[in-house]
Amino acid sequence: MFDTAMTWNDLMFMLRGAGVTLWITAIAVAGGTMLGVVFGVIRSSLSPWVTWPLAFVLDILRSVPLLIQLVLVNSFQAIAGWGWSPFTTSCVVLALYTAALVTEVVRGAVLAVPETTRRAARSLGMTWAQDQTQIVFPMALRVGLPSWINVTLGVMKDSALVLWLGIIELLRASQILVTRLQEPMFILMVAGAIYFVISFPIARLGERLEKRWREND
Amino acid sequence: MFDFSYRFQWAQAMRHLPRMLEGALVTLEIAILSLVVGIAIAVLLAVARDSKYIWLRAPATAWVEVARNTPALFQIYMAHFGLGSFGIYLSPYTALLAGIAFNNAGYLAETFRGALRAIPETQTRAGRSLGMGQAQTFRLIVMPQMFRVAFLPTTNQMVWAILMTSLGVTVGMATDLTGIVQNLNARTFRTFELFAIAAVLYYLIAKTVMLGAQLIAWRLFRY
Amino acid sequence: MKHTYVLAAALGLSLAAGAAQADKLDDIISSGVLRCAVTLDFPPMGSRDDNNAPIGFDVDYCNDLAEALGVRAEIVDTPFPDRIPALVSGRADIGVASTSDTLERAKTVGFSIPYFAFTNVVLTRDDTGIEAFEDLQGRNVGSVAGVFEALALEEQMDEWGGGTFRPYQSQADVFLALSQGQIEATVVTSTVASAIVESGNFPNLVIGSEAPFGIDYVGIIAMRQEYGLINYLNLFVNQQVRTGRYAELYEKWLGGATPPDLTVRGVYY
Repeated sequence: MFDTAMTWNDLMFMLRGAGVTLWITAIAVAGGTMLGVVFGVIRSSLSPWVTWPLAFVLDILRSVPLLIQLVLVNSFQAIAGWGWSPFTTSCVVLALYTAALVTEVVRGAVLAVPETTRRAARSLGMTWAQDQTQIVFPMALRVGLPSWINVTLGVMKDSALVLWLGIIELLRASQILVTRLQEPMFILMVAGAIYFVISFPIARLGERLEKRWREND
Repeated sequence: MFDFSYRFQWAQAMRHLPRMLEGALVTLEIAILSLVVGIAIAVLLAVARDSKYIWLRAPATAWVEVARNTPALFQIYMAHFGLGSFGIYLSPYTALLAGIAFNNAGYLAETFRGALRAIPETQTRAGRSLGMGQAQTFRLIVMPQMFRVAFLPTTNQMVWAILMTSLGVTVGMATDLTGIVQNLNARTFRTFELFAIAAVLYYLIAKTVMLGAQLIAWRLFRY
Repeated sequence: MKHTYVLAAALGLSLAAGAAQADKLDDIISSGVLRCAVTLDFPPMGSRDDNNAPIGFDVDYCNDLAEALGVRAEIVDTPFPDRIPALVSGRADIGVASTSDTLERAKTVGFSIPYFAFTNVVLTRDDTGIEAFEDLQGRNVGSVAGVFEALALEEQMDEWGGGTFRPYQSQADVFLALSQGQIEATVVTSTVASAIVESGNFPNLVIGSEAPFGIDYVGIIAMRQEYGLINYLNLFVNQQVRTGRYAELYEKWLGGATPPDLTVRGVYY
């Protein structure tokens, strides 16, 4: 259908880039989710008077463009002499960014569990920990999981920005091929298709989960 | 841990603050324009997606899914270099605006669709039985309620739009905040100082917009 | 016996003092690796061959330097915006990346004496009718953000008024924008221009006349306070010219002609 100079080798080059995209996303989402759950529980169980410094920092992470954050952290780690590789820097920045988003998801989900249900649990003699793990967690999971999937997909797409630091992920790989082959439209379409193929099924899964769980309510 | 052999030169970077503020205005301008265009398209997409005609439903669905499932950076790059290979030349400003508006429209269409479904069918029927036409009912009865339900997600999208404007540098955008900061950075190599100031400015823009949105909501939606 | 202790203590002291004084040059020699930041989308100075291995003038220059130091060279691929972070963070020891030695930048990083000098030419498409530099007036032009020729071009466009200047983030994007028609011309170092035209990737690009920007001298960059290293780099650049290696590398990567003169008449560096 298309007359292209792109070879299988070049496609493999792009797929390797997609692998880097997925790998960075996986690390960032794993780290960010762990942090985000901790922050989210802290934010939803302690008074705002205590947690405002945390809230403030997370708010900054959500209100400053990721590109700026990447460049800023990259130059800061340089100045501080930590000698992080661009890959490490990218993972750290994306993980913190993910944590800021996940915190809101967790907080929203925990607050969605009715106060009366939790009081009922406590008056049945459950400890705080039991209440958290056996009442709040299962109920909040239903509310939060679809949003968490959206956050994950968002981070996957935002990870394209790490090309700024010289990491050859999917979009950067396509740019390199565009430079060599001079077929911007075709190559960018392939790149877009790869992103779509990764993102779309997961997005659909999230929508289905959301719908099914809502029906059971 | 903090063994700085690097001396921060804040004064040198702060000298450029006036130009950066000009850039911040351009950033705000693009974000607002892209949101206005995005909302207009999103309303059409939201209606089209639940249309009974496939020729309306299919392109609208395609738009929404592509906008939501590919990176914004990709969409902006495509608006500049992708369309360029068809001989459609968008300036960096237009390409950035088009890319973000495309993205906004895709996300807001879903928000609006959800909001439309939250409005009871009886509202439309009530409007029709008062003798209003279909378009009139939608415009006067359904749309105001839709915007009320969708207001909070829309302000969030506005913040996203501000963040997305920073991607313009990849298509040669030079006048927005990131463009100006990156240009200064290439001249002076004072990366940390310049980008730190930019981060503060972005934060202030985002907060101002959120505050503005709350004021508007208070004016528009109080009962 | 007592003497041995004193000796050991003195030795220990001097070793500790030595460690405290060790500078970057010592670090490089003792680690056995010289890490050079090179920009690999800037042919013929830096690019990749078919196997994605780094090649180019800058790559060879780094290899020569490593050989002189008796260490192994490691090329750190850095896009233009990442040159300084790579250097400051210690991911790279030096940058051999065609960095123009502006006074503004010298406030932040240290420069060696010039190791190469570029002249700039107008690069345009065959259908724009642009030939002389003055033809750029009122046109849409672009270049790589912040590089020597970009600064000069932007200034000139401002002075003329009309037309637009677009800074792109890499040389590749500039050529793409130019060949597509997003911009009508760019001003680019003559070496890059001939490399790109010869590559055959952009059949519609042609080289116009020279741009009146003067000579763009580029230095090797290192941390500003590493005087020992910078001194070594200066001597190395001098030796490269003296031994004829500079001319040899010039012929290998840029072909023909005599290599550009690296001295400025009437003044010491």
